[in-house]
Amino acid sequence: MDSKATTSKQIPVTALVFIGWLFLMTFLPFLIILGMSFLERTPLGTISFHFNFNNYARSFQYIYLKVLFKTVWLALIATLSCLAVGFPVAYHLARSKGWMKQLGLVLLFIPFWTNFILRIYGLVSLLGNHGLINQILLSLGIITSPLEILYTRTGVYVGLLYNYLPFLVVPIFSALEKLDPSLREAGFDLGANRFQVFWRVVIPNIKEGLFVGSLFVFIPMLGEYVIPDLLGGAKEAFLGNVMVSQFFVMQDWPFGSAMAGLLSALMLMTLWIQTRWSKTSGLRGGSLNA
Amino acid sequence: MPLELSGLTKTYSKDGSGFRLLPIDLTIETGEFFCLLGPSGCGKTTVLRLIGGFETPTSGKILLNGKDITQLPPHKRNLHTVFQRYALFPHLSIFENVAFSLRLKKLGRSEIEERVSEALKLVQIEDLRDRRTDQISGGQAQRVALARALVDRPEVLLLDEPLSALDPELRVKMREELKALCKKVGLTFIMVTHDQEEALQLSDRMAVMRDGQCLQVGTSKTIYEDPVDPFVARFIGQVNEITGDLFGDSPETYFLQSSLGNFRIKKNGHPLNKRLNLILRPEKMRLLRQRSQVQENLIEGSICDLTYLGSRTEYTVKVKDATFKVFEQELERLKKRKLNVGDNVYLTWRTEDAILLNSPNS
Repeated sequence: MDSKATTSKQIPVTALVFIGWLFLMTFLPFLIILGMSFLERTPLGTISFHFNFNNYARSFQYIYLKVLFKTVWLALIATLSCLAVGFPVAYHLARSKGWMKQLGLVLLFIPFWTNFILRIYGLVSLLGNHGLINQILLSLGIITSPLEILYTRTGVYVGLLYNYLPFLVVPIFSALEKLDPSLREAGFDLGANRFQVFWRVVIPNIKEGLFVGSLFVFIPMLGEYVIPDLLGGAKEAFLGNVMVSQFFVMQDWPFGSAMAGLLSALMLMTLWIQTRWSKTSGLRGGSLNA
Repeated sequence: MPLELSGLTKTYSKDGSGFRLLPIDLTIETGEFFCLLGPSGCGKTTVLRLIGGFETPTSGKILLNGKDITQLPPHKRNLHTVFQRYALFPHLSIFENVAFSLRLKKLGRSEIEERVSEALKLVQIEDLRDRRTDQISGGQAQRVALARALVDRPEVLLLDEPLSALDPELRVKMREELKALCKKVGLTFIMVTHDQEEALQLSDRMAVMRDGQCLQVGTSKTIYEDPVDPFVARFIGQVNEITGDLFGDSPETYFLQSSLGNFRIKKNGHPLNKRLNLILRPEKMRLLRQRSQVQENLIEGSICDLTYLGSRTEYTVKVKDATFKVFEQELERLKKRKLNVGDNVYLTWRTEDAILLNSPNS
């Protein structure tokens, strides 16, 4: 009895391995970055151990704030686009039955069997001026000159939407799956039409799923680097791209670290707002565990 | 004004179950407590869902107060459902759950307040109004579901096995409350149940169903005392059955010839030599120690089991390779038990207490 009571309090070895890995590969590097953000770059590009807040002060300069706001703005628009496209997908998947549902889920995830970078290069060859889409449209005579998609903001949106959609669809899908079908029937029964059932019964009961799904795509989008780099060209740089150039072009690791620290703070704040919000709205954290 | 179902059918072919609801004709009177009773898969829930508008009939009509509502969607029918698992909205408080239909009708604040309070009071849960749905018990959820369905005064209340999710003690208590509630609000209640005791206790009339077919409609007493089908007799209460052939030796007296003997029966239009089931309710049979003065309807057997249940004793009597159940009421206090296991006894019954039905095997 006693030994059982003590072992149940201990963390299992398998979990310890994972926690150790997380500490070593995620938490420790993060601490190093955080520490570095308070240091200084010497004119030679090396790091001097002189504690200061100058890097953070510099981060709030207009040119960098502008990139930050643009990153947040683009991520927000892309998240809303994901919602607009992904919600109907989740809704129909949840309501379809048998093999249709299985097929839909498989189709949703098949692209993910291909490496992320390869998928982006795939998009490059689809969207370019000599890409498949423009070739077809030109040969059909629908357009006379190629559509400028690649290396524009539209290209970035297409890339973000394509890559993040499943991460939004799945939490919403599982929230809809868990929704007791008799709740919708009760709504109809009590006099609500389809529209009213949707807004007064379905949406309020899956809003946690909607929120979690949106955060699943919004937060990683804030840190996006490859998609704006390969599909957006230089003009559509995200904060991630500016950070990378600080590290590898400008050789200013402390300043790059400060920007990383700022972005992490922003992401944590978003998460904090989400937890606060779901607590005050009296929802049980069901869909997070889904 | 009544609710009428005429020639209502429903065929499911899509899901491959091949279920068919055979044409059903029913008239349910206003203010009546009507039960749809039958084993699972008999189609009783389908009938309720057809009335509620959640399924469309393959053919036939549903008339409410003379108005054809067959093609109306659920939200345009003036009737409400109490769902099996209540289907309370988890995102709304108890008050808002009950107010749901009133808010859709865009009633004023004070009227909503007044009517919700009234409905909560009707089912005695005024003090729960600000709770969340996960902060109440099953019995309370049942009451909320009732209040929510009654608040905007529908013409008919549909109840889908409303008591099946409650624990047995509460179930019995809620039965009485449901019955009282039906009489108090004066609405038509249509309840689906597979519990024969529930149906007997609650319903003014009931329909007994099997395999998508409505076998018999009638009051509890009619269904119990005069079943028209051996299935109905077996489904409601307990039965002893004797199968035999009808024969008559004079125009007045008819007999059932069976392996257990010949028994006198009242003739009611069955042709001679037909194979029939003689059905006897356990409480309508008597046990005798001696043959005594009784001359007819007598079977000799021995007691192989007895159970004392306070108000009655249940005997199991073995006759050849058949067993009979006999319930005897304990009418006198401190009376010594006269019969024991292993005793030889005679079973008897009054001719008019026997039910005679066509044998399904004939």
